[in-house]
Amino acid sequence: MELIDKLTVLADAAKYDASCASSGAPKRSSKGKDGIGATNGMGICHSYTPDGRCVSLLKILLTNFCLYDCQYCVNRRSSDVPRARFTPEEVIKLTLDFYQRNYVSGLFLSSGIIQSPDYTMEQLIRVAKVLREEHQFRGYIHLKTIPEADPALIAEAGRYADRLSVNIELPSPESLIRLAPEKQVSSITGAMGTIETASQESRADRRAPKFAPGGQSTQMIVGADASDDSRILHTAEALYGEYRLRRVYYSAFSPIPNSPASVPMQAPPLLREHRLYQADFLLRGYGFKVKELIGAQGNLPLDIDPKLAWALANRDIFPVDLNLAEPQLIARIPGIGVRSAERIVSLRRLKRIRFEDVARLRCVIEKAKPFIITSDYHPPQATLESSVLRRQLSDQPAQMALWG
Amino acid sequence: MQVLCCEDDFECWRDQARQLLRQDIAPHAVVWEDRDHRQLFASEPLPASTPRAGPTAQATRIPARLLDELKRAAQYRVSGRWNLLYRVLWRVAMGERQAMLAGDPDGSELQRRIKSVSREAHHLHAFVRFHPVMGRGGLDYVAWHEPAHDILASASLHFAERLGRQRWLIVSSRDAVCYDGQALHHRQPCPADWAALAESVRDNADPLWQTYYSSIFNPARLNPKVMQGHMPLRFWAGLPEGRLIPTLLSRARAGAQKDGQAEAVANKSGKVIRSAAYAKGDSLAGLKPDAKRPG
Repeated sequence: MELIDKLTVLADAAKYDASCASSGAPKRSSKGKDGIGATNGMGICHSYTPDGRCVSLLKILLTNFCLYDCQYCVNRRSSDVPRARFTPEEVIKLTLDFYQRNYVSGLFLSSGIIQSPDYTMEQLIRVAKVLREEHQFRGYIHLKTIPEADPALIAEAGRYADRLSVNIELPSPESLIRLAPEKQVSSITGAMGTIETASQESRADRRAPKFAPGGQSTQMIVGADASDDSRILHTAEALYGEYRLRRVYYSAFSPIPNSPASVPMQAPPLLREHRLYQADFLLRGYGFKVKELIGAQGNLPLDIDPKLAWALANRDIFPVDLNLAEPQLIARIPGIGVRSAERIVSLRRLKRIRFEDVARLRCVIEKAKPFIITSDYHPPQATLESSVLRRQLSDQPAQMALWG
Repeated sequence: MQVLCCEDDFECWRDQARQLLRQDIAPHAVVWEDRDHRQLFASEPLPASTPRAGPTAQATRIPARLLDELKRAAQYRVSGRWNLLYRVLWRVAMGERQAMLAGDPDGSELQRRIKSVSREAHHLHAFVRFHPVMGRGGLDYVAWHEPAHDILASASLHFAERLGRQRWLIVSSRDAVCYDGQALHHRQPCPADWAALAESVRDNADPLWQTYYSSIFNPARLNPKVMQGHMPLRFWAGLPEGRLIPTLLSRARAGAQKDGQAEAVANKSGKVIRSAAYAKGDSLAGLKPDAKRPG
C-alpha cells in the first residue's frame, strides 16, 4: 500500500479524537542548533478544516487494525473499514516533512491495539524516541497511552512526549462495560494515576528528567450513551481533581459507517458539546464548581450559556457595581471575561468606571447590561423576572449557524 | 501646523516625537503623512530649536511599556497611523496614564491596533507554507505570504527557532525576510530574484498534505463559519489546502452529513478482523491476528 493511501485511511481513523492541542510544552528552540522544532507553550493552529476544527498536529493512528470491539469506535474489530498500518519510519518521515513545511507543530500519535497492549505501546514509543534522539526533533509530541500497557512503558513514553492522554471514553463505568467490553475503568484510571505519579516525581526533583511537561488530557464521548450533562461534568470535575488533567475533551458522538445498533444514528449533538466546553471552561478558568452550574441530574440549557444560566439563577448577587466589586465576581458577570475583568480593575485605579468604558472593552455588552452598575448606569432590567430576561438574552437564533 | 514624514520607520518617528515633546508641541499642531501618499509640501525637516520650558520639558521620560506598545502599534497599516501614536505619547507625558489603556478612547484604539498586529503575527506563524527548493538560490525552503500589517521583520525569527540551521525565505509584495542559517535579513522592497523564486513555487500542490487535510475533516460536523472566522478568506489562495475547501464543503452537504468518514476511505474495501482466539478470551499476548500486516 502506498504511503498516500495509508495516510487517507489512518488520518480518517484518527479524526474522532477531538484534541489537537499543542499547548503546555516548555520553551524549546532549534535556533542555531542541529535538528528542528520549537515549542513555546502556546501552540499554533496551522489550519482549520471545514468542520471548524483546528489543525495543530499531525494526528494519525499508527494502525487501525484493532483487537478491541468498542461499539462507538469506527476501528472496532467488527467494523468493515479499510485497514492500514504505518511503519514507525513512515510516521517519522511524514512528521518531519509536515513540520518543516509549517503545516503542523508536531505529532499526535495513537493506535489500534495490535498483538498486545505492550507491543502497541512499544511501537508508539519507538516513533517518539527516534524523532527525539536521532532527528533531534524539538516539536510537540502527544502520545496516546494504551491503558493496559505496562506502567514502565508509560513511564518511558513520558520521557519523549510533551503530553500523554488516556481516554476515559464514556462518562460512566456502566456504559463502558456495555459499549467497550475489553476496557475497564480501573485500568484507565490506573494509567492516569501512573502518569500523575511520574509527573509529580519529575516536578519534585529538578534534576530528574522531564516527564510529559504538557501534562495529561482525556476525552469523553458525548451522546453515545444516555449519560446526562450532570454526570459528564461531575466525572470531569473528579478527573481534574484527582489526576490534575490539563484538559477534558468532549467529543460529540459522530455516527460511524456500519454503525452497530448499540449506538445512536443521529447527527452529532454539537450544541450540547459546545455548552459542555463552556461549562468546562468555567470550571478551569473561573473557579466555578459543577454544583453551581448544574443539579445532581439533568442537562445544561441549550438556549443560553452556562454562565448566564448561573447568573439568572443567582439574581440576588446582581447587579454588580463595577467600581466596587471583587475582580473574581466581575469575571462571573455574563458577557465579561477574565481578561476584561482585569482591564476594568486596572482602569478603575485611574478613574471611575462609566458605561461607555465597559462598552469599549471587548465585552458582550448586551449580555452584561442587566447585571452591572457603573457610575452613570443602573440597569432598568434589574427588577425584571429571570424568565423574561432569559427570553431576551437567549441566543437561539445565532446558534443556528452551528448547523452551517 | 507642522507636516512631517517618518518614512513609516519607527526609529525616525521616535526621534521626531522626542523633539516635538521637548518643544512642547501639542498633537493638534502636527501631522504625519504616509510615505505612500505624501503631499508636495510635506516633510520639512524639523527645525533644531532649543527646548521650551513647558510642563513636559523636564519630564520626557515615559514608561518603557508604552514605548514597546507604540512600537508594536506602529506596525498597523492604516492611513495616518503615526498621529494616534503621538497623541497617546503626548497625553501620557502630560500625566494622563489612561491614554494607553483599553478603557480610554485613544487607548482602546492603540490596544486594538496592537491586538491586530499580534493577530497578524500569529497568522504568519500559522499560515506560512514553505515549499522545499533543494538548495536553489542557496535556500532550503521558500514561502509567499501576504500579511495585512508590517510584521514580517519583527515576527519571522519564530521560523529560525522552528527550523534550526535551515535557510529560508518569506516573500510578500511589499518586503521580504531571508534567514541564511545564522542571521535574519529584511529587505524592503523585496529583491527581484527573491520574488521570482517565491513566485515559481507559490502554487505548488502537496498531495500528501492535501490528502491529510481531506481525511482529518469530519463531514458530519460541517461548520464553515467557524473555519472562516479563524482562517480568513484572504489566506486561502496561499494554502495548498485552501483550494480543496469548496469541494469538501459541497461534498459534505451532498452526502447529507451522514457520518464522519472521508469519501476516499468509504470507497475502499473494508476488513473485519476475525480472531477466534480472541473471541474465546485467550490472553492478548499470545495472539496472532490475521490482520497484523498492512492490508
